[in-house]
Formats: sequence, structure tokens, C-alpha cells
Amino acid sequence: MGGIAPLSAADGVMQALAARKRWRLHHIAFAGAAIAFLAWCAEGVGLRPKELAGALPAIGEYFYRMAPPKWEFAEVLWKPAVETLYIALWGNVIALMIGLPLGVLAASNVTRSAPLRNAAKAVLNLLRSISELIWAVFFVAAVGLGPFPGALALGVNFGGILGRLYAEALENIDNGPVEALAATGAGRLQIIVFAMLPQALPQFVTYNLYWFEVGVRSATVLGMVGAGGIGFELVTTIRLFEWRETGVVLLLILAMVTIIDLASTWIRGRIY
Amino acid sequence: MILEIRHLSKTYPGGARALHDVNIDVAAGEFLVILGPSGAGKSTLLRCINRLVEPTEGQILHNGVEVTAHLGDLCAVRRQFGMVFQQFNLVKRLSVLTNVLTGRLGYRSAWRSLAYSFPEADKRIAIECLARVNMDHKAFQRADTLSGGEQQRVAIARALAQQPMVILADEPVASLDPKIARQVLGYLRESARDLGITVLCNLHQVDYAREFSERVVGMSHGAVVFDGPVAALTDDILHRIYYREPGEAQKEEA
Repeated sequence: MGGIAPLSAADGVMQALAARKRWRLHHIAFAGAAIAFLAWCAEGVGLRPKELAGALPAIGEYFYRMAPPKWEFAEVLWKPAVETLYIALWGNVIALMIGLPLGVLAASNVTRSAPLRNAAKAVLNLLRSISELIWAVFFVAAVGLGPFPGALALGVNFGGILGRLYAEALENIDNGPVEALAATGAGRLQIIVFAMLPQALPQFVTYNLYWFEVGVRSATVLGMVGAGGIGFELVTTIRLFEWRETGVVLLLILAMVTIIDLASTWIRGRIY
Repeated sequence: MILEIRHLSKTYPGGARALHDVNIDVAAGEFLVILGPSGAGKSTLLRCINRLVEPTEGQILHNGVEVTAHLGDLCAVRRQFGMVFQQFNLVKRLSVLTNVLTGRLGYRSAWRSLAYSFPEADKRIAIECLARVNMDHKAFQRADTLSGGEQQRVAIARALAQQPMVILADEPVASLDPKIARQVLGYLRESARDLGITVLCNLHQVDYAREFSERVVGMSHGAVVFDGPVAALTDDILHRIYYREPGEAQKEEA
């Protein structure tokens, strides 16, 4: 202690607080660097806000031309719209079949072998990094035009995404029940099925519902490369400048996504 | 002796010494309380017995057979020891009955149980175990709808369903209020007594030790500092268990 008067406890904490504040200078420098980096990237993107502002009326014009929507066109759209839902649904089923085993293998608390885990992660990364549109091009070439290559494309890409999300959900479970089941003498596979999967299940369902909704949106562009669904009609009407028909297609997509969103919210409210 | 613990030591990879030369004999049918403050090594001791933790040195003999020797069949060793945890550790989204049935997994082949299918005989065992802790009326409820005391009773039923020789209870009542804690310890002691199961129960509350056990092992800083009848727990000994500094421990060993 020497001759120095002991500080009260509050003084000590106040000093520590002041010391922490000094770090803020460092934070400002970091924020400045981040802004400079974003500005440099803006050059690369070719951001031209003025031109965008000038073009806004023209963009508004497209929507103006879509009104009033040509409702009779909905009769033609009915079949491809349903096909879009099929593609999204089966895309998700395939994604589940690919993502679940790979996700289980990629979760660090489930798979202890690092080489196996890394192999699973590598496959998931590969599936995920190639977009569904590119996969659709491959699958159309492989199995021909139609909704089947569309569902495969969604399934493979979403499998990569869902597998990663499944693995994260598994890694976040409570380890207590896992230890309890190990203590009963249950085997590794039994522990996974009885203690791990039930805990992660609500999250699995949530992810699948969300990616079903994403699937409906994605399936609308798959038609551009001949992989079925409503996208073919969307692109065709745009190319033919049939704006009133385009309006109907967009409204229909909006309606489908909204209904699925409402339905999935309803389902999610009932699984916890 | 159903359990003979000989020169058991455990040092964790980080260098933390949890157990140091622990020697305990447990007679069949005993309700033995292991008393000590948090961090005394009580949890590590129980986990060495069913080999959730591998000891660094020493032996554990179960009916004269060394449990540390069964390198191959870990599951067969573990299913002989039921375990009850401070945080209950039920699978919350599964029903009470399914949770108790998981106590049978160690006896069943993986493939059938993967479909959540259990033999009739196992279901009967599970329901009988639930009845012992007076929870059979809630068999079909989800585990997370139960109160803490009820969850711990279900966890005891899960341990009983293993038809174990020994139950290892790791601070089973630390997160329960005193009234419920006494009720849960009562269920544990009575059902174990009826079935002839030996219980090793970690506690940090002296009162419960006095009420529920005849023999107490006191632990402090990874070492046994007392082993004797509950009546011999004097203030002096309690001070040794709860307030001994690590430095004093080394002096005593020297």
C-alpha cells in the first residue's frame, strides 16, 4: 500500500472505465478504414446515384404499364404456378435428404472424427457455392427440360445451405441430455436419435419452412433456363413487352409467397 | 464391497487437479452421501465411476471387477450405473414415458430403437419405475411441461429403468427448494432401498446429509478429508470440508 491512500472501490472501476474508453480511438480508426474500403468498392461497382435518380420515372413507367393487370392471363398461368409449388416442395424434400445426413456429419458435437467432419463440410460448401440457377443449367442438360431438373437444382443447392444450418442447430443443443443418455449406456446412434435430433427438430422445421418459401421465389427464375415453373411465362411476357400479363405473373408470385409465409408462421407457432 | 475406489486421481488436460488419491469402499445397499463444496471433485468422482470421465490414475472395482479395464464395452459398464443430474437432463421435447424408456437403450439394439419402438417388457418396466416415483399419471405429458421436482422424479425413474446396481446422483436437489428437495431425496432413498440399489449421492448441504444418510464422505480440493458415520460430523470436521485452503491440503499430504 505504501503511502498512497487506497482508492475506494468506485474510483477503481471509474479508472478502469476510463482506460476502456481510450480504446474508442482505435474503433474510430477502424470505422474510418471500413468506410474508405466501401468507397473504393463503390468505384468498382460503378455506383451512379444521380443516374439512378434520373431513371426512377422510367422504372415507375414499367409498373404503370402493368396496370390494369390482364386477369384472363391467369387461366394460362394456373398450371405453371402449381408446377412452381411442386418444384419448391420437392426441391425441399431433396434438400432434406441431402442436407440431413451431411449436416449430422458436419456437426462437431455429433461427429468426433475431424477428417469426416471436414469432408462433409467441404461437400456442403461445394453444393452451396454453386447457385441453383447454374445447377439448373447442368440438370437441364443432363435430364432434359421441365420441372424435374428444377427440383433437382433447388434440392442440391438448398441441401448445401440446409445442411450447414442443421449442423449449427445441432451444435447449439443442450449437452446435458446427451450426457444423461451416454450414462444410461445408450450407443452413439441412439444418443443422436433420442437426445440430439429432438432438441434440434424445431429449428429444422423452421429452416425447412423458410427455405420452402425461398424455393417458391427461386423456382420462378428457374423457368428462364427451361427448368419448369412460372419463370418461363415471366420471361416470355417481358420479352414480348406484354406488361399487363407480366403484372399478373408478379401478383401471382406475390400471392403465393404471402400465403406460404402466413402458413409457415402458423405452423411454426405450433411446433415449440 | 460393491464398489472399491483405490488411489483414484484425475488431472484434466488443462492441468486442473480434480481428484487426488481418493480411496472409498461402498457396501451394497448403502445410501452414501459425498459432501463437499463446489469444486471439491465430487462430480468428477461420480463420472469416473461410470466412465463419463477417464481417471488419470487408480482403480475402481465393481463387485471385484475393474470398471477401468473394460476398454471395449463402455455401454455395458455404463448401463449398470444409473445417473441423476443437478439439471435433470431430460430430453424436454419427448414425453415422460419416452424419457424413462431411454433408460432401456443400453440393453437394446440400435436399429429397433431408432424407430422409437420399444418391446412391451421395456414399457412395463418404465411404467413401474414411474409409479415408484409417483409420476405414472403424467406418462404421456411432454417433459418440459413438468415442474423441477417432477422432472427430477422422472429422471430418477429413468435411472431406475436401467435396473442398475448403483445410482450416482450428482447434486440431485441443488436446483430445488427445500420442501421439494426433501421429497425428491425421499423418493430416491425409498425406491433404492426397495430395489436394493446402492446410492452415491453428491450434496453440498449438510442438513440433507444428516437427514438422509448414515455414512458421509467429506471431500475438499479433490481429496477425501472425512469418511465416517453421519453422527461424527462435528463442526471441526465441517470446517475441514468447507473452509480448508488448498495450501493446508498440501501440508497435510506432506
